[in-house]
Amino acid sequence: MTMDDGAESACAAALVDLPGMTPVRLARLLDGLGPALAWSAVRAGTHPGDPGRRFAAAARACDPSVVAQRYEAAEVSLLLPGRPGYPAALVGDPGAPAVLCASGDPSVLEARPAVAVVGTRSATPYGAKVASELGKQLAGAGVVVVSGLARGIDAAAHSGALAAGPTAAPPVAVVGTGLDVPYPRENRVLWERVASAGAVLSEAALGTEPRPRVFPARNRIIAALSDVVVVVESHRNGGSLYTAEAAARRSIPVCAVPGSVHSRASDGTNELLVDGCTPVRDVDDVLAAVSLARQGKGKAPLESVRTGPVVLHDQGTALDRIQRAVWDAVEDVPTTVETVLLRTGLSLSALLVAGDELVEQGLLTSGSGWWSRA
Amino acid sequence: MIATVPSAVLHGVDGRLISVEVHVSNGLPGLTIVGLPDAAVRESRDRVRAALVSSGLPWPRRRVTVNLAPSGMKKAGAGLDLPIAIGILVASGVLDQRSVDGYAFVGELGLDGSLRGVPGIMVLADSLMAHRLVVAEENVGEARLAGGACVCAPTLTDLVARCAGRRPWVDPPVQEPTDDVDADAVDDGPMPDLTDVAGQPVARRALEVAAAGGHHLLLVGPPGGGKTLLANRLVGLLPNLGPATARQVTRIHSAAGEPTRTGQLMVRPPFRAPHHGVSAVALIGGGTATMRPGEIGLAHGGALFLDELGEFPAAVLDALRQPLEDGLVRVSRARGSITYPARVLLVAAMNPCPCGHGGPPGSCRCTPAARSRYARRLSGPLLDRFDIAVRVDLPSADDLMASSPGESSAAVADRVAAARALAAGRGVDVNADLPASSLAQWAPLDADATALLERTVRSGRLSARGLHRVHRLARTVADLDGGAPGVARCHMAEALFLRGDRSILLGEDSR
Repeated sequence: MTMDDGAESACAAALVDLPGMTPVRLARLLDGLGPALAWSAVRAGTHPGDPGRRFAAAARACDPSVVAQRYEAAEVSLLLPGRPGYPAALVGDPGAPAVLCASGDPSVLEARPAVAVVGTRSATPYGAKVASELGKQLAGAGVVVVSGLARGIDAAAHSGALAAGPTAAPPVAVVGTGLDVPYPRENRVLWERVASAGAVLSEAALGTEPRPRVFPARNRIIAALSDVVVVVESHRNGGSLYTAEAAARRSIPVCAVPGSVHSRASDGTNELLVDGCTPVRDVDDVLAAVSLARQGKGKAPLESVRTGPVVLHDQGTALDRIQRAVWDAVEDVPTTVETVLLRTGLSLSALLVAGDELVEQGLLTSGSGWWSRA
Repeated sequence: MIATVPSAVLHGVDGRLISVEVHVSNGLPGLTIVGLPDAAVRESRDRVRAALVSSGLPWPRRRVTVNLAPSGMKKAGAGLDLPIAIGILVASGVLDQRSVDGYAFVGELGLDGSLRGVPGIMVLADSLMAHRLVVAEENVGEARLAGGACVCAPTLTDLVARCAGRRPWVDPPVQEPTDDVDADAVDDGPMPDLTDVAGQPVARRALEVAAAGGHHLLLVGPPGGGKTLLANRLVGLLPNLGPATARQVTRIHSAAGEPTRTGQLMVRPPFRAPHHGVSAVALIGGGTATMRPGEIGLAHGGALFLDELGEFPAAVLDALRQPLEDGLVRVSRARGSITYPARVLLVAAMNPCPCGHGGPPGSCRCTPAARSRYARRLSGPLLDRFDIAVRVDLPSADDLMASSPGESSAAVADRVAAARALAAGRGVDVNADLPASSLAQWAPLDADATALLERTVRSGRLSARGLHRVHRLARTVADLDGGAPGVARCHMAEALFLRGDRSILLGEDSR
């Protein structure tokens, strides 16, 4: 890195780090100006993008090199448009971030193809399982899995991608908080593993706490970085539909995993299917969509990794009459004990024992007051 | 001239003996009441004067001083009208002191000289057992419950004539105590019955187990699921109160001025459902002079239902913890303290989360933060008091139509009574009262049940305290299942299910 590059990067860090700075304001400040020029104009109070001079005083009290050192200590690099390292997929994007903070290895952003696997935070066991399978098989097939490191589907997709092993394609996450503020906290370990295997990106300065607004905003980056967006589960009006919308606006294909029509967590995805999105049954459907997308851009299609249809072995033989009745009454979506009780007509004690045995055999998953088929 | 007339005032659920001393002396005409009277007692000056005058009795044109001894204690209520009037009549020489010796007086006076009843007469009569008690006609039935001698008169004129021996005391008609429990039903309309509840097998079962074992019950579910409907049917499953408890319950209701059945002990367990705007004092008891028992006291022997538990102020709910543990309430104020029994079956209903539809994953749109904020309104120790926490979901139309009509309350009540009889054989009223040390004796677990319990504890879903509670619950389930001496796996499985998953309620799940 040349002296000049270092200074530009330090000024960019200082701009991102100004109190009250948002991605939108930052884009206005850096519009048409390099970071160094923008910084000196903000300091001088003459920047046309800062008419109220709200940043001038803070900028004068700030030394860019100190801020740069802090970002360096946190092992966060700054990606600037027009500089090496800035993701090619974002160049020319209407919503391209003016500065991207990255931890991990930003060069993985150039690895192609990339598929976003996103969905609801309150995922059903079905959704989490599909997301995890897709993440693992896509990464195994050399596809970069992009997601948001949120609860539910996002976390399952990333865990799946990491489970594919060190030789698989690296995962990429785009988050809404500062890179030193893992959110939700229970995903801290997952967050660190994604950063060390791939990259974690954020538009926000270090130390930025989670705010409701930032999550829909980062969804546009997830969409823009991907060749195909797969929505695994989404409620009606769920946040992941923002990602689908952002992708559609960029002519990026959107796929959706079909779900039970009784599952509220699949309302949004089933609606996407009605609207004409490609249904995803397994990883091959995604890979086919990726190939089509790449053909459209004049690139070679991918090899299929079809593993053959999944065969459920017949569970009927091993079950006794009561267990069979319970198994028949439980659906793929969480079914409350009350419903099963009404359907089977068994006594509560007998039902609970049979359900417990089916869980032990791995045929059912249980939660508080409900079962679903495993 | 001086006169002394015994009477009593309410203090919590007890009566306090009061000696009404009246002194009539020369001086400017007037009436002064001393001895910390409250507003109602001070106003009795005007009532007594009007009553005497309109009864054609002389009002002394001298200085009258009334002292309510002991003077250091605050007195409240209008029940002191009558003893003050009698005291004035004795002190001014209209009545002979000997003619009222051995009598005690409690009653309010109307301006026309009529005698009116006062609340808490059963309790007051209890404290005046040494005397022959004179009360208003409407109070006789309740006063007799205390067991002492008791007479009445319709008006002050009448009363004076009887004291002076000009007219005989007429024994008021004794109401035949009926054993017909359904007499309540005539007053309050038909008791709500479980046949009205369609479907809801889990909640019905929870209600039955709660009634049989005295286990506190929490119903969690979306609005419209029938939580309130179910809770209202709980007391219908409870057996009649024993004589001792019925007496306590009637005393507490009397002291609180709640309506009681005339002349009879309350044999049906009470059901109290305070609104969530209730204050801690209204729930626990207290107040200034009388220390009125609160809702939890009025629910003694029966059920206390807290609908929309999440909307109750946290401080009010936490005030319930000690009474629930000890079965009695101690209210202490600067001027004194009262203790009264409060063994209640607590039933509460709440929504699982702000949107009301939380439950199986994927069904709720609340953020985890909103959910845990909602759950944090309940303290862990309070939640721990609920042995049973079940979900009451909206039944789907298909399931509702497919289910057979519900069992009647009477059928369930029979099973509850049988289970309670088994508990009585263990020396407790209900299984929830079994001491932890005796669980091994009364509820030995078989190998499968032990294995199931061990697995649950190891998975971290059950705390050490929860262990004993679920053990008692399993005992009740086994009692309802025929009362085998041991607890089998199916009983333990049901008990664990009924106990429910606390992590959801405490907002600890990390979906």
